[in-house]
Amino acid sequence: MSSTNRATEPESGVTTGISTKGLRAGAVGVVGAVVIGISTIAPAYTLTASLGPTVAEVGTQVPAIILVGFIPMLLTAFGYRELNRVMPDSGTSFTWGVRAFGPWIGWMTGWGLIAATVIVLSNLAGIAVEFLFLLIAQLTGNPEIADLAFNPIINVVVCLLFMLGATLVSYRDMQTTQKFQYVLVSFQLVVLVIFAVVAIVKAVSGEAPEPTAFSWAWFNPFEVPSFSAFAAGLSLSIFIFWGWDVVLTMNEETKDPDRTPGRAAVVTVIVVVSLYLLLAIGLIMFAGVGTGALGLANEDISANVFFALSDPVLGPLAFLVSLAVLSSSAASLQSTAVGPARTLLAMGHYGALPKQFAKVSPRFFTPGYSTIVSAVVASAFYAVMRLLSENVLTDTILSLGMMICFYYGLTAFACVWYFRKQWFDSARSFFFTFLFPLVGGGILAVLFVTTLIDSMDPEYGSGSSIGGLGLVFVLGVTIILVGVAIMIWQRIKRPAFFRGETLGMEAPPSRRRR
Amino acid sequence: MTGSVVVGYTATDTGADAAALGARLARSLGATLHLVIVLPNEGTRSAAVPPERAYEEHIRGQAKKWLADAIVRLPQELTRNGHVRFAESFAEGLIAAGEEFDARVIVVGAAGGGIFGRHRLGSVASELLHSSTIPVALAPVGSAQQDDHVIPRVTAAVGTRPGADALLDEAVALAGDTGVDLRLVSLVPFDVPPGLDTGALRVVGDEHSQEVLAVASELLPDGRTAVVEKAPGDSVEDAVAHLSWLPGEVVLVGSSRLAQPRRLFLGSTAAKMLHELPVPMIVVPRTRAEAGVR
Repeated sequence: MSSTNRATEPESGVTTGISTKGLRAGAVGVVGAVVIGISTIAPAYTLTASLGPTVAEVGTQVPAIILVGFIPMLLTAFGYRELNRVMPDSGTSFTWGVRAFGPWIGWMTGWGLIAATVIVLSNLAGIAVEFLFLLIAQLTGNPEIADLAFNPIINVVVCLLFMLGATLVSYRDMQTTQKFQYVLVSFQLVVLVIFAVVAIVKAVSGEAPEPTAFSWAWFNPFEVPSFSAFAAGLSLSIFIFWGWDVVLTMNEETKDPDRTPGRAAVVTVIVVVSLYLLLAIGLIMFAGVGTGALGLANEDISANVFFALSDPVLGPLAFLVSLAVLSSSAASLQSTAVGPARTLLAMGHYGALPKQFAKVSPRFFTPGYSTIVSAVVASAFYAVMRLLSENVLTDTILSLGMMICFYYGLTAFACVWYFRKQWFDSARSFFFTFLFPLVGGGILAVLFVTTLIDSMDPEYGSGSSIGGLGLVFVLGVTIILVGVAIMIWQRIKRPAFFRGETLGMEAPPSRRRR
Repeated sequence: MTGSVVVGYTATDTGADAAALGARLARSLGATLHLVIVLPNEGTRSAAVPPERAYEEHIRGQAKKWLADAIVRLPQELTRNGHVRFAESFAEGLIAAGEEFDARVIVVGAAGGGIFGRHRLGSVASELLHSSTIPVALAPVGSAQQDDHVIPRVTAAVGTRPGADALLDEAVALAGDTGVDLRLVSLVPFDVPPGLDTGALRVVGDEHSQEVLAVASELLPDGRTAVVEKAPGDSVEDAVAHLSWLPGEVVLVGSSRLAQPRRLFLGSTAAKMLHELPVPMIVVPRTRAEAGVR
């Protein structure tokens, strides 16, 4: 009765038309795009994780570094936008890298993206765990509960539970409405503004532990003590803007592709930069940049400064900060987990990784296998780091900055090289496909190399070291070498991709008439 | 032309159950079968995840492959198509597809899956039961493994709750179009106010049965008969569990039968009935008539 002979079936059996309700319900407006941008950046989480390490590097010059750090980010994002315009693909950096530089470099670009997002997933979960315990402690009035977060076993177990929850949410593609996201983001912003304003007021009125007078010199990047410190600070500030480019790369998905992404990007940046500056200034004024009990450069608190400072600043309302960071991390976990999963999916799809990675869950339409693999790797990474490092959060953030420089830089260069025949087509393409991404990629490359060299020092980061080399350096190099090893293994198992048979190199010809 | 059958398909066991029941209904009705996969807009349902057209394209391609595979596995004598649709939710997309194809029934698998076991109604099925204006057929777990039958008889569980008329009309139409007999099961004993004495109850019940039977007999085409059967038991679920069924039979139930007033979990009674019933259940919405006017 039934048959499996496909040859007898009409080819046009499957249609993919739009339903009678032809309107695209999913189109995103400016506000929606800004909300997505802010939830992806997750300012509450990002700042608590990076403010301490940044202060440790550049002292009071944090505002300057925040402003300067945006430049390479912006220049690279222009390259992203151009690539996304001509080659929209869920593999993003991986696919673009392959198209421009061929399978080998492209593979490593994809690897860099996956490594960076996997690291940030583990850091995100780590921060969430600390704030979960802090929140419980604040709500129950029992400060001992907050200390439980630092028991390695409890910490790792709870962190793995967090990861499990986040994986389930991503795997099942849990429905969250726009309204819910609006509430989350607004709550986060309001709490952070209150937090910063109260810190400034207390600093001015002398109630702060280490009141530091504000100075406009904080905005001067040339007062950063050394170039190494400058580079380290920059790679951290690249992390705080990381994810912002999604706003710019949303084109077709928005209500007005010509205007929405640009406007949303500008609004997002203004909101996020003002918030960062306000908080950085507020907390420096309140706690100073010293290594005292509450000083921002104190290694014991620097990996998670809101954790230490929310109580002294806000007193009984401190739980609001914990709630804001928790909700910010939770929202970010889902949007962040999508990145590596989709890149792995694309790599599986093009035969750069085993075919299982290309599997889409038939029930939830998510890259199921890839999602689970990246979650397992992130969990394992966190557990190992927790054992190896004296300060897991600091070291993961520093190595994360390095990995972001690595793959963002490569992507920026991919843009430059891919469009090499179109550079001089118009003034627009000169700036957006040549100059901006080239400069952006150049800055990122310098940052990457400088950080790599500096991090060889065992005192770098938290001061953990392996064999006389700084842990951050060991991490960065190990991640890249593991990538190379897996790449060679895949070359042996799946030569087709590496021969360029599934995804070839390309350079679109100039559109100018000769 | 007797309309079409729309199947909410996924490349899972649940989806295979739905496709099998859809094929059975389509064959019995002589209707066209449409397998529909509903994908989330931009590849995601979460507002926190940036939308990405490229990923949407990817899952669209994958869905087409799934549909092509499913279509070849279905009986060849059926006219069957596959469609990929995008919508906010699976149920919403199915209802839109149902309207687009002028479906007389939408079929979904009833398995909830997941950690809560097989007796829970799937979220898609629940949402459909809440919002569909087209009858919804729930394929029990394992439908795909059953022998292929043409529907031998249609059973309808009728009471006096709102929507009973729409239900009776639908049952008569289904029996007429498939060319089989109709069996009516009176649920009046469960609809009367509690505390009514058994004597009065029997009178009311018998009266209602005769009325319904008269209406049904009149509406049915010549040569087809309707019978009334009494369902003993303490509850609807209990009553249907004691009925005897022919292989391949389907039962029609009004949607208000499943919804306890002011209770959210409409699906719970449905799930319980599904568990008791060895046959697929078709839930007929009481808003059917209004939907036609709109």
